[in-house]
Amino acid sequence: MHEVYTYSNASPSRITPEGTLADLRVAVQPNLAVRGWPCEAGSRALSGYTALQDATVVARLVKAGAVLSGSSRMAELGFGLAGDTSARTLVDGHADVALITDTMGEVRLAAAGSGLFGLKPTHGLVSRHGLAGLVPSMESIGLAAADPRMIAEILAVMAGADPDDPSMPDDCTAGFSAAPPSGTESLTAGVIEESLSSLDPEERLAFDAGTACLETAGVTIQTVNLADYGLFKDVHHLIAAVEASSSAGKFDGVRYGHRSAVGKNWNDMYLNTRAESFGPLLKPFLFQGAYFQFERYLAFENACRLRCRLVRAVDDLLGKVDILVLPTRRPASDPAQAATIQATYAVFALTLPASVTGHPALQVPNPGVAADRDTGLQLIGRRLDDGRLLAIGQHLSSAAREGR
Amino acid sequence: MTYEAVIGLEIHVQLNAATKLFCDCPNRPGDAPNRNVCPVCLWLPGSLPRLSQEALEKAVLACLALNCTIQNESAFDQKVYYYPDLPKGYQLSQHHKPLARNGWVDIVGADGGLKRLRIHHIHLEEDVAKLVHETEGRTPISLVDFNRAGTPLIEIVSEPDMRTPHDAMEYVKALRAQLRYTGSAECSLEQGTLRVDANISLRPAGTEGLNTKVEVKNMNSIHNVGDAIAYEIVRQTECLEKGEPIVLHTRLWDPERRVTAPMRAKFEGPCVPDPSVAPIVVTDAWLEGIRGRLPEMPARKSARFMETYGLTPDEAAAMSAERDLSEFFESVVAQDLPPRKTAGWIVSQLIPALRDRNQGIGQTHLTTERFAGLLDTLEKEIINTQSAREILVQLLDSPAALEEIIQNGGFRQLSATGDLETLVDGVLADHAADVADYRNGNPKVLGFLMGQAMKASQGKANPKVLKALLAERLG
Ligand SMILES: [Zn+2]
Repeated sequence: MHEVYTYSNASPSRITPEGTLADLRVAVQPNLAVRGWPCEAGSRALSGYTALQDATVVARLVKAGAVLSGSSRMAELGFGLAGDTSARTLVDGHADVALITDTMGEVRLAAAGSGLFGLKPTHGLVSRHGLAGLVPSMESIGLAAADPRMIAEILAVMAGADPDDPSMPDDCTAGFSAAPPSGTESLTAGVIEESLSSLDPEERLAFDAGTACLETAGVTIQTVNLADYGLFKDVHHLIAAVEASSSAGKFDGVRYGHRSAVGKNWNDMYLNTRAESFGPLLKPFLFQGAYFQFERYLAFENACRLRCRLVRAVDDLLGKVDILVLPTRRPASDPAQAATIQATYAVFALTLPASVTGHPALQVPNPGVAADRDTGLQLIGRRLDDGRLLAIGQHLSSAAREGR
Repeated sequence: MTYEAVIGLEIHVQLNAATKLFCDCPNRPGDAPNRNVCPVCLWLPGSLPRLSQEALEKAVLACLALNCTIQNESAFDQKVYYYPDLPKGYQLSQHHKPLARNGWVDIVGADGGLKRLRIHHIHLEEDVAKLVHETEGRTPISLVDFNRAGTPLIEIVSEPDMRTPHDAMEYVKALRAQLRYTGSAECSLEQGTLRVDANISLRPAGTEGLNTKVEVKNMNSIHNVGDAIAYEIVRQTECLEKGEPIVLHTRLWDPERRVTAPMRAKFEGPCVPDPSVAPIVVTDAWLEGIRGRLPEMPARKSARFMETYGLTPDEAAAMSAERDLSEFFESVVAQDLPPRKTAGWIVSQLIPALRDRNQGIGQTHLTTERFAGLLDTLEKEIINTQSAREILVQLLDSPAALEEIIQNGGFRQLSATGDLETLVDGVLADHAADVADYRNGNPKVLGFLMGQAMKASQGKANPKVLKALLAERLG
């Protein structure tokens, strides 16, 4: 228990025992504010920091009757999954749903590693108020669970307009309905040819077995092309690093968190505090962001332009097919393997596209292979089509159960 | 060689919105330290900025008053630099997409002609916290007061159209008058609610093109703006004549020594679009609503005062310079008082009295009714001018009724011929030699005798009656 949680709720009590989420146990990461709980986000920069108020999603879940079981361990400020125990809370039976911030694919890969469903909702559908984040334009509070219906129900409570997060786009304020959308039959799914090039033959076989199951379930599979597919990684890396550098600028030891004991004046205090606050993975990432921000601003602007181009390209594909299907690769369980930025990006290579474009993406356990095999399926939908993805996931999982 | 100065001003104006720019904290930087703070303006993790509608409206009103075009879409950027006065590590400002562009104000140039000075753009931004560096024993300590952090500012960036200190001072005055009219800002250089940074460069007279500029900060009065620019023009001219190159840097005006001195270079960071504040999208209908709230501006009001009330250009300009005073004037005139006389009293008596007190009309006990009553009593010769001046002071300072003040002060003027006859006879008897002098043909003595008689009445004699009596008695 101690290994899994950084804080565990000793007195779980429900405010609304008959709410729609009554008795549902939810694990959070310590970057999500729960009033009175430590909110250190896996970083020394926030050491000793306790949340003053509930994040909007936390308040909504508790009001709907959910019980917070505790907060798990996480990688520093949610960059990657090194040391993350979110999925373990589910596997070990401590929680029914885990909220996992997805910036480069964390909720999807955490789910992929544990045979679970993991949804990164449409960016902007869920309030970020109370999320001690790092990359505002890419991160979403994701949901992992064994049952896609449970994800839909909890997303319906979490989503929708929040006066404390005016950054939510207008089309997101109506929220999300847990009822599955009609017309899930006779769908077309596009497989991006360029996304398969990194798979080895065994992985390719597993992926094909997965798409075959989709066909069996009535989904027409079609190969599509995305010439710019190779740009996702660099665009994500550059923009995420710049945003991270900006948003980590607040960690200065002046108001909260770690403050260095050494230094002759405020400037020394400032520099030493920041030097001591960030870990060996995040620090170079912040340096990279600062470098592009200060020295190569035009490269950053170009990356932003390319990002718009990538959003349009994915939207165009989703005009021809109903969903896109990409493979996922289970992350190595050894956190040391993700100790460099390069290695981290390699692990998340397959999940970066939806983080760059903001489209909803659902990790689905591959019904075509044994549960402990590596290659999973990732369904990407149109903006705000999160419900359709969950319905397809549900359909696949019941078909797989019946087939067994 | 003669040089011509090229001057551009960057002016920060504090908006007087009730709250800060991105949270609901009171916009009162002067309160006890760190009283007006919340998770948003302290930028605690998980906070998100919420743009104040009131601040936005006041900013737009200010931009319209300065003849700017409001942009259909504007957006916030993060101006990155690391200093403890910035809780976010960046300042939210509008760099790439400002709120408004292409404005102007008119000034009267040194040659007396009208000169139009262009405004490049106006953007919204948040102010930073206040730092106090002290020592505790021998240890340097730095204290931060976040009350000011996040309070709303607009920055008005001019085109480099100014050529002289006169231009710059008139520009600041004109801009301040327009902004005060909108009610969006107080605009006091002395209190720091209007801060002027001047960019000054020189070029050979008659040439075009812009040379390396020097920025001057820290001028806390209009006169300091003029003096600092004048000093900087002389300093740069001397540099050029000695063959020293001008390097881009920032200088601080020292009001004690009356010189500018270089300040340590501040790190200028990049501006990255902020992903969390939604862009400001302005619709025509919304903008028309704000435009409808724009008051009649000073230039138009001045013209109307000349036409409607027959004021001279000087009087009209004085009566329209400040919105509260112009409204005071019109309201007094509406109570059937002669406009020019009212304007004269406001200029010669009321404005100096307010200046002595360092108060606005609203901070005194004077109302338009009380002021109109005073002028009316004067018109009806119940009191004389001397008494009216003294009564005005009391009307400003105490809530007592006009009648009561006149009664208690014994200000009612002596007009009864009988009383004044006795008084005049006494004075003439006391000054027999002067009377003889007058009768021998020295008319100047009349003024002296008049003064003595007025003194004998303790200043309350009706001067007209008194003069007539004196003339009659002296034959
Ligand atoms: Zn605040």
